[in-house]
Amino acid sequence: MIWLYLHFRHLLLDHVARSRQDPSPLAVLSHGTRQVIQACPRARQLGVHPGTALKTALNLAPELVMVHADDTRQAGILEQQAHWLYRYMDRITLYPPDGLLAEAGSVQRLYDGLEPLQKQLQQALEERQLNASLTTGPTPLSARLLARAGMQCCTGETSQMHRQLEALPLPHAGFDDRTLQRLTRLGLTTLGQVFHLPAVELARRLTPETLAYVQRLQGQRPDPQTSWRPPHYFRQRADFGLPVEKAQGLLFALQRMLSELESDLQWRQQDTDSLLLILHHYRREPSRLRVRTTGPEHRAEAFINLLRIRLEQHPLQAPVETLELKVTRFLDRQATSHTDLLGETTDQGEAWHTLVSRLQARLGESALQHLAPAADHRPERAWSARSLTAGPHHHSKGSDQLPLRPLWLLPQPTPLEATPEAWLGGPERISGGWWDGARVLRDYYIARLPSGQLAWVYRDDQQSWFVHGWFG
Amino acid sequence: MSDLLNTLLDDARLWRGHRQFATIPDPEQTGFEALDNQLDGLGWPRGALSECLLDAPGIGELQLVLPLLRRVTTRKQTVFWVNPPLTPYAPALAREGVDLDQLIMVRADTRPDLLWTLENCLRSPVTGLVMAWPDTLAARDVRRLQLAAEAGHGSCILFQSRRQACQSSPAALRLALEPDHQLGLRIHVLKRRGGWPGQGCTLPLQARSGCVAQEGSALVIRGPWSGGPAPG
Repeated sequence: MIWLYLHFRHLLLDHVARSRQDPSPLAVLSHGTRQVIQACPRARQLGVHPGTALKTALNLAPELVMVHADDTRQAGILEQQAHWLYRYMDRITLYPPDGLLAEAGSVQRLYDGLEPLQKQLQQALEERQLNASLTTGPTPLSARLLARAGMQCCTGETSQMHRQLEALPLPHAGFDDRTLQRLTRLGLTTLGQVFHLPAVELARRLTPETLAYVQRLQGQRPDPQTSWRPPHYFRQRADFGLPVEKAQGLLFALQRMLSELESDLQWRQQDTDSLLLILHHYRREPSRLRVRTTGPEHRAEAFINLLRIRLEQHPLQAPVETLELKVTRFLDRQATSHTDLLGETTDQGEAWHTLVSRLQARLGESALQHLAPAADHRPERAWSARSLTAGPHHHSKGSDQLPLRPLWLLPQPTPLEATPEAWLGGPERISGGWWDGARVLRDYYIARLPSGQLAWVYRDDQQSWFVHGWFG
Repeated sequence: MSDLLNTLLDDARLWRGHRQFATIPDPEQTGFEALDNQLDGLGWPRGALSECLLDAPGIGELQLVLPLLRRVTTRKQTVFWVNPPLTPYAPALAREGVDLDQLIMVRADTRPDLLWTLENCLRSPVTGLVMAWPDTLAARDVRRLQLAAEAGHGSCILFQSRRQACQSSPAALRLALEPDHQLGLRIHVLKRRGGWPGQGCTLPLQARSGCVAQEGSALVIRGPWSGGPAPG
């Protein structure tokens, strides 16, 4: 078996750097000692190196953006990387805060060797603007040790891997301090020398746990790994270091997150119709932005257009520290039908969804409505408006059976002001609503007013006259 | 010299005669023979704006559009009603044979929203007809809409007040609507493409009151008050 280990040397740094639009220097600070532990190339140019004290760093580079090291946050970022790695390899184990282990032996034939696989992974890393060293090892533990020691070893040759492992200096072998001290006192310097000790002696002179560790390292003892399973949702985070104040900065990060979503949906062969954006502010309740499309969609471009409109309409309430994108609703893809061979005819259904989604994003979902007749005798209740997302409605009643009604209905009946010139229809008595309290008792007439308008007027049981509609 | 010409040609206000036949796709008949005759069979222009100018609702303005509405919705194209002044009454529309699933009511509260909405609707290939009731539009805005309409293939009818009649407009068709005493709709063509304005006709729309068209006062039923008190 061959194990591949991805070691992210400065994951947090890469993660923040790719979300930021401006190229200001970046550094990661350790929590306790207030020292720089990672610095981006720009910061290093200015003289900020790992180990520099915070004050010195700020003097060297006043515009330095600082991020505090946070292992739980980094573990979350690491899991995002497992998402895309899962498209290449299936048995993945997370080694927080900075490593991913994957079993490469079984997929070797799929990629026609280890080298093409390595190339594809490197390309995927570059696309995501991340840095990681890829190292193989004969056992999970050995792959991890070799990677963390910085050995350039990515090969399918078992003998070469063993040679590398045996040459590994003891301080990098992951022994605890006491064991390391005792082994050094024995005059041993590399892992290979430890391997050559008789097992019984190793257990007797050191501890049985050390023996177990060495055997796991060599593959003589089982070392089961729990495989990571991708969750049934999509989640991406972008951390900005310095809070972002303008929507443009959010869109920059969103562009990358949405193309990640697009490739994830493409890989799942699914679509979605609802995105949730959570904007985390400093010492404030996070604001939530839900964006819906009217139809299934997977293209990053369509989502970014909707989000752009949405962010234009709703300015940011406070500077954003962290942006989170969540998708939990997935829809199975349906084959597009109306495209011809050259793909020249546009899909009407898709165009409809695009247009309506755009309108809804700008005007709000309630601004667009469908009308439908409703089964009620009272004119003001004989129709209903419903939102467009509710799906098509089926009208059953034949058109001939419907009574004559005006094309315009007034939102509220208004008192009749002028004496009608001519009476053209009626009376039609409408009496109902005794069952739900909204009692209606009216005689409706069709009348022409002096202004030339044809009105639908009624007289109620108080003998007052009202206009309720116009025959437009 | 050619720069000057190009600037002129880019201007949407300039109408060029020789492109007339190329720019008119198969016409969208109004469905009223009298009006179609007045418009030389060109009907409602597609890919261009039309304006209907009227003072108050209820004079038969929707009746004028109904044949078009019916045809567009049967073709499964979408009809947008943008900012209608009153509620379009669903039972009546269903009775007239309009497919309600194709109608979308849009409410745009601010002027920039309204213009944005209209432009987007007009540019989309799914749109068959846009009906809009804007308050007032500047000539600049109408020109923008006209350009958007040219990008799409749908028709667009703006309903505006008759006070706009004296102002010039880039719309391809402008009709002034007035009621007459027999429930008819008097139409005055203020502007049209491919011909001189000034014609007029009257559409008999008595059927919308539910009575069969008859002569004169026979049409009038006896009121519920016979010379009694006026309501108010």
